[in-house]
Amino acid sequence: MNLEQLKQLKEKAQKQIALREGGKKYRVVISMGTSGIAAGAREVMKTMLDEIEKQGLDDVEVRVTGEHGLENIEPVVQVEEAGGEKTTYAQIDTEKAKKIVSEHLQKGRKVDNLAVGREKKTE
Amino acid sequence: MFEELSQHVLDIAMNSLSANAKKVQISILESRKRDCLILRVRDDGHGMDAATLKQVLTRRWSSKKKRRKPVGLGLALLQQTAEMCDGHFHVRSVPGRGTSVTASMRLSHIDRPPLGDLNTTILALCATDKKMDVQLNYRSDEQKFSFDSRELATRGGVIL
Repeated sequence: MNLEQLKQLKEKAQKQIALREGGKKYRVVISMGTSGIAAGAREVMKTMLDEIEKQGLDDVEVRVTGEHGLENIEPVVQVEEAGGEKTTYAQIDTEKAKKIVSEHLQKGRKVDNLAVGREKKTE
Repeated sequence: MFEELSQHVLDIAMNSLSANAKKVQISILESRKRDCLILRVRDDGHGMDAATLKQVLTRRWSSKKKRRKPVGLGLALLQQTAEMCDGHFHVRSVPGRGTSVTASMRLSHIDRPPLGDLNTTILALCATDKKMDVQLNYRSDEQKFSFDSRELATRGGVIL
């Protein structure tokens, strides 16, 4: 195991501990820096909280965080699952936010066409 | 850049979170009689020294850059809004003690953004990943109300 892998392991372990404390199946993290707010992150958060409540999903935790460093693709919404899997959704508006709640958080199906990064299948 | 003053408030208070503040106090005074609106965001975070503060305030967002990338420019944006609306802008920061940001505007100024969705701003601040107490004091000619996150029962950090 090299230093980079050790670092990754520590990060993952840390995340797991944090998640366990939260005790929820899904942790939704919304980036709320200057660019995020300007792009509508606050309204996205509101929509997600409203939808989560409306659908009665009690195994979801919503968190607000600072800049993700992804300012070109704000608003950014990340869904972390209890197993450690993380999905990053980019350029989310209120309609897309509803879809993430109804598909990913309610049915456990990732919304591939809204996701970016590693999890996106291109082939 | 921001359509609502409550978005400015959220943005400035998120700086407090970044500064590891344990508490952020937001006060808003809206007076038709005095034709003024005053916003203040005060925290007990790590603060900024004079050089950092100067740097933050002079890094103006340029309209020449068409890219929407106003990273770290929240203070300059609020200053711009305040001054555009015949108001003043002031930041006082003491390293290790905290920061206080005050912006005033002429309430009746045609360019003054509406206060907007203050509730969602406060809700967002109560759902931050790091724990931070949030206080709000709002006062107008007719009414006043206050909010204190410490007095609320929360579930998972989010008010439901």
